[in-house]
Amino acid sequence: MSEIFKSEVTLSENGFLFDHGSGLTYTLNTTGQFIFRQLQSGQKSKQIMEKMLDEFEVIEETARKDLDDFFRQLNELGLIDL
Amino acid sequence: MKQEKKSYVKPTIVRHSVGVTNKYGRPPATVPMSRLNGFDVKELVNEYGSPLYVLSVEQLRQNYQDMFRAFSTRYPGARIAYSYKTNYLKAVCSILHSEGALAEVVSGFEYDIARNLAMPGEKIIFNGPYKTRDELARAFTDGAMVNIDNYDEIQVCEEVADELGRKFPVGVRVNMDLNNPPWHKFGFNVEAGHAYEAVKRIQSGGKLDVKGLHIHVGTYVDDVNIYSMAAQGLVNFYTVIKEQLGIKLKYWDMGGGYASHNTLNWAWQSAEYTCPTFDQYAEAICPILLKGPFQAAEAPRLFLEPGRALVDEPISMITTVVSQKRLPGGKRGVIVDAGMNVLSSVQWYNYNCQTVQDSGLTLEDTILYGGLCMNIDVLRQNAVLPPLRRGELLVIPHIGAYNLSQSWQFIYLRPAVIAIDNGKIHLIKASETREYVQEMESVPKEFNTYSIANKN
Ligand SMILES: Cc1ncc(COP(=O)(O)O)c(C=O)c1O
Repeated sequence: MSEIFKSEVTLSENGFLFDHGSGLTYTLNTTGQFIFRQLQSGQKSKQIMEKMLDEFEVIEETARKDLDDFFRQLNELGLIDL
Repeated sequence: MKQEKKSYVKPTIVRHSVGVTNKYGRPPATVPMSRLNGFDVKELVNEYGSPLYVLSVEQLRQNYQDMFRAFSTRYPGARIAYSYKTNYLKAVCSILHSEGALAEVVSGFEYDIARNLAMPGEKIIFNGPYKTRDELARAFTDGAMVNIDNYDEIQVCEEVADELGRKFPVGVRVNMDLNNPPWHKFGFNVEAGHAYEAVKRIQSGGKLDVKGLHIHVGTYVDDVNIYSMAAQGLVNFYTVIKEQLGIKLKYWDMGGGYASHNTLNWAWQSAEYTCPTFDQYAEAICPILLKGPFQAAEAPRLFLEPGRALVDEPISMITTVVSQKRLPGGKRGVIVDAGMNVLSSVQWYNYNCQTVQDSGLTLEDTILYGGLCMNIDVLRQNAVLPPLRRGELLVIPHIGAYNLSQSWQFIYLRPAVIAIDNGKIHLIKASETREYVQEMESVPKEFNTYSIANKN
């Protein structure tokens, strides 16, 4: 369900992201990569949240805020449509 | 068995662009500064509040000693007169006086601070374009060095000398065409002949005696050649007034303007590469002055009036992140609890910002906003910072010059100032209270009828 991405994107193993539509490149940190890969495999924000809580040492409140902020950022960068 | 969870960092994505490393290929400082002058930054804020100004006494003393050594080893008897306006906190002035600094003041208010700190008149240099008659009378009586700025002041000084029934030594403030745009506001211009006319006028009045020359070439002057030209200009001018008007100087004063290690907003290179050392300034000035028209034993005393070069570096500000937001276009904005009312030099400087906690290494171009409800309150247009959360701290180093004396009380109360000396913390200025801010106000009874009405 990668149609949430506005154009084709490639995320390398070390967090380097290439947006085939715009030609722009980005770097994601480890948490960013984790979330991004979930998005690529079609997960919705609620499921991603649960996975984050499973995977990382983080409380729900922080994870929710950070995830919101991250989505907003992806949206602003034109990578996804919220 | 359940696997251990991974440690968490806030998710980030950063668009690749120029600017995240500087042009020397060096990434901006990302090593968290958890301690400041030996103390845990978080604990300082817990104890004294945020924002907070923190003075390193050791660094202040060191700066003074470095500058004094650089000049006094090249010009025997050179003296430093600290420019009060840069930061006239009593504790700051006292530390510098205890190191041997004289006081350079530019108003009756500053003069009063110096006298109140037990500075004798002869250790005060009184500059500034506006000195009242009473202030001049006090300064002359105390034996302070008064540098005259304009013709009106010559006249007032003469009237004061008449009233006091004595002839007083004075200095004359001059300016020269050195920089672009030139600093013509203060004193009398040399090239146009105004300075010569002024000296002649003072001598012919017979009530004052020209014993000093003063020049202040600008502020944050990081080109030492300007000082060399000014020094040569003073030598030439002294030669002329000595030969033609019989002037014998007791002192000459090269003013302030020496740069600090902060980078100007419009600078191409970082100040770490461009800020001259005290030795370079001294070398640009002293050998030229020593070739003046006098025997070594009669050399006028040399005064220097540094401000920012002494006090910028020793003071840091700790500030707390209030919020992080996304701006249209994707850029990040971070709001902190200190505004330009307590950091007014953001108009000039691209202050460095250090994180306190380990916030990860993913850096992002960020607009750093001050906490005032005012659109112009931007501390930095482009700060490269890691992700930050509400409550996290930033240290902004090197902010000691002008930010405190030019701070204005607006919307919020102004923060406390602490001094750290030899592992000991001293509160040198408590944070303001509402009562303190409103102390001088009053509300006439007639304006206050509603409070009685509200009581009923
Ligand atoms: C007469 C005089 N001396 C010294 C100074 C100190 O300048 P700075 O802080 O640039 O050294 C000033 C500041 O404008 C000044 O006007």
